[in-house]
Amino acid sequence: MIKSSLKKLAVAAGFAAALLPSAALAEYPEKPITMVIPFGAGGSHDLNARVITSIIPTYLEQAMIVRLTPGAGGQKGTQEVANAAADGYTLLFTHNYVDMLQQYVENLPYDPLEDFIPIARVNYAPIGVVVRADSPYQTFEELVAAAEKDPGGIRMSHSGNWGALFVPAAQIMKERGISLNLVPYKGGGPAMQALLSGDADVTMGFPSTLGSQIESGTVRVLATAGAERMFDDVPTFAEVGVEGDVGFMHRVLVAPKGTPDEVVAKLTTAFEALVEDKTFVRMMGRLNETIDLVDGPGYQKMREDQAVAYKELVDALTK
Amino acid sequence: MLEQFMAGFGMALRLDTFLLMSAGLFGGMLVGALPGFTTLMAMAILLPISFFLDPLVGIPFLLGVYKGGIFGGSIPAILVSMPGTGAAVATSRDGYKLTQQGKSRKALDMALFSSVFGDLSSDIFTIIMIFPIAFLVMQFGPPELFAVLLLSLVIIAATSGENPVKSLIMMLLGLWLSFIGTDPLGGVERFTFGIFDLKSGIPLLPMLIGVFAIPEIAGVVMRSDGIRHLSSLVGERLSFKEFRASFKTICRSTVIGTGIGIIPGLGQVVAAMMGYSAAKNASDHPETFGEGELEGIAAAEAANNAVNGPTMVPLLTLGIPGDNVTAILLGAFVAQGLRPGPQLFEEQGATVFAILIAMVFANVLFLAIGYLSIPFFSRLVQIKTSVLIPIVIMFAFAGTFVFRSDNFDLLMLVVFGIFGLVAQAGRFDVMPMVMGFILGPPMEYAFGQTVAMGNGATMAFLFEERVGAICVLIAAPIAGIALWRRMRTVSTS
Repeated sequence: MIKSSLKKLAVAAGFAAALLPSAALAEYPEKPITMVIPFGAGGSHDLNARVITSIIPTYLEQAMIVRLTPGAGGQKGTQEVANAAADGYTLLFTHNYVDMLQQYVENLPYDPLEDFIPIARVNYAPIGVVVRADSPYQTFEELVAAAEKDPGGIRMSHSGNWGALFVPAAQIMKERGISLNLVPYKGGGPAMQALLSGDADVTMGFPSTLGSQIESGTVRVLATAGAERMFDDVPTFAEVGVEGDVGFMHRVLVAPKGTPDEVVAKLTTAFEALVEDKTFVRMMGRLNETIDLVDGPGYQKMREDQAVAYKELVDALTK
Repeated sequence: MLEQFMAGFGMALRLDTFLLMSAGLFGGMLVGALPGFTTLMAMAILLPISFFLDPLVGIPFLLGVYKGGIFGGSIPAILVSMPGTGAAVATSRDGYKLTQQGKSRKALDMALFSSVFGDLSSDIFTIIMIFPIAFLVMQFGPPELFAVLLLSLVIIAATSGENPVKSLIMMLLGLWLSFIGTDPLGGVERFTFGIFDLKSGIPLLPMLIGVFAIPEIAGVVMRSDGIRHLSSLVGERLSFKEFRASFKTICRSTVIGTGIGIIPGLGQVVAAMMGYSAAKNASDHPETFGEGELEGIAAAEAANNAVNGPTMVPLLTLGIPGDNVTAILLGAFVAQGLRPGPQLFEEQGATVFAILIAMVFANVLFLAIGYLSIPFFSRLVQIKTSVLIPIVIMFAFAGTFVFRSDNFDLLMLVVFGIFGLVAQAGRFDVMPMVMGFILGPPMEYAFGQTVAMGNGATMAFLFEERVGAICVLIAAPIAGIALWRRMRTVSTS
């Protein structure tokens, strides 16, 4: 009696032992995945994430749940993921300024390069420098000339210190040796409103927010980020002497370091399929967002370059 | 223009629009009634659904969630003194007293009627005056915002509580609590004592539930009179006579709320408090406010809902979302191929008017949905306290936790609960503290922006460019003293 039960048990154990390793690998994800966003509801990350998480379950065969954890300029949510188990069930959806720049301006309770590995960069947005249509500055060079003549006299509205509008502005100031009066607003929307109401002389914006303003002719674009022209008659940052990965907001999914390779591979495959998905492409297009997937190793190189560039920038500005 | 309006009117009259809007309103009301779940979260989660719907179905659906959610927040505020947002704080004070007096149904009815009236009037006003409002919005920058916030705090301190000195102490305490954490402009840590959890500041929700709900729960638990229900009665429905008696207050609050909605960055909390303070000040029996005054509910609810119409204006006319709710709506618009901005009215005028008209219909629908569901909600208070109180405690903790799944927030809930009990024992009103805490950060931010705009010469900059802000700043203390005196003479006479 006991013998036969033991035998059965041994057989069962043998089966289990044979099945377990492969089963465990094949089964990720076996429960819903949490995507932590370290920002508040309604922002561009939130909107992007809603689109991603409504379609990616098709390819992961599991739900991906958005959890908004705002606080301390993104540190709260980031720390939570840094402390989470590296099992692929807790991921962080962040952007390059929180990911790579913050470490040089604040004391972080984690080390971004040591504690995280990138999984997928979903897209990026290039920024443009804009003035009101009735502004006296017709070109970027005129703006620079005016700033040289009156250091700190030109007001530029931005979306918060060390944020997506502040950093490119700081980099322009550093490269061109000028000084603008940087006035913070609570997000890109209010910063644009400050430009339109005349409280600010110049601001910056992403294509998704600039579109309707350019169409209606209320603003003029003076320069756009990168080396490739976004508008035929508007120079790029590279052309006006501001080189490098300046003025791009990269939206990136990262995982705690130590996440198993199989899990990373599974997620990578899912994102590769996602960006080909017709519904995904259509919905992102409607939100005026680009899709430009870079895999983990590819983005890791960009991250390391960002880290060097941001350190130089912060050192130059805070010295 | 009129042609487009009429075309829009026709477009909005669709059965599927009405059905989904009703679903949104009802769902929003339920979500809003659960502390910890905000309407904002509900809208963000439901946003992708709207992508697959026709613009005239998807956007009214989201608007329904939004409008339903704001009213939903007043349900726990009235029934169990648990305001889930700052906008429901003023409502909870008179609302819960009415519940204890066995008049919860009247209180909910009043909240519904005044909400719908405030919202409806401000929507209609917005549709008619959309371009003048768009112009006015542009006149307010950080210096004006700072001045108006300061004036609001002075008015709240002067008109709340029986002892203005105590009110002022509590407000300063609230302001100080709001300083804890990372300074919003410079990124410097203040009063965190190196504790990481304090770096993002003290969370609002645990404070609200802690100081308003916990003392009331404790009050019921420690009551020794053997009553087994929060109230044995739900009472009668609101009579027309009672509504008419508050009608002047509702109109006043609607005007205040609409005006506050025009100023970017102020929002529902300020509107509710200003509506409440104004009603108390105008009343010939201010001492009944806070003791179960229907007019108090009317004043707060009409004002915080009247904010909604004008906040849509920057979104529709400029394509700029002023807050997170309008940012989500912007996503919904853009996903439908409607890009809000100066050209939207020229290209898609009829559709925009159809959406605005749908907002008006949403109010009428909501009146019906709310009226039918209030008897159901108001019966909550008849549940035996031995069952209800554990449920309320569970919701207090679960609601606090669900907001961002942080144990620290639970600790804060307990700390503020104890604080609330101590304050109650010492007859300190916690409302000015909460208001200082909520309005402190935007005021500080606007102050920092003003200083930054002045670039080292702030006073000179203000006198050159911002005379309006200076006038309000000078008026604030004068208004405060005048209100304080008036309050004293009215209450002592």
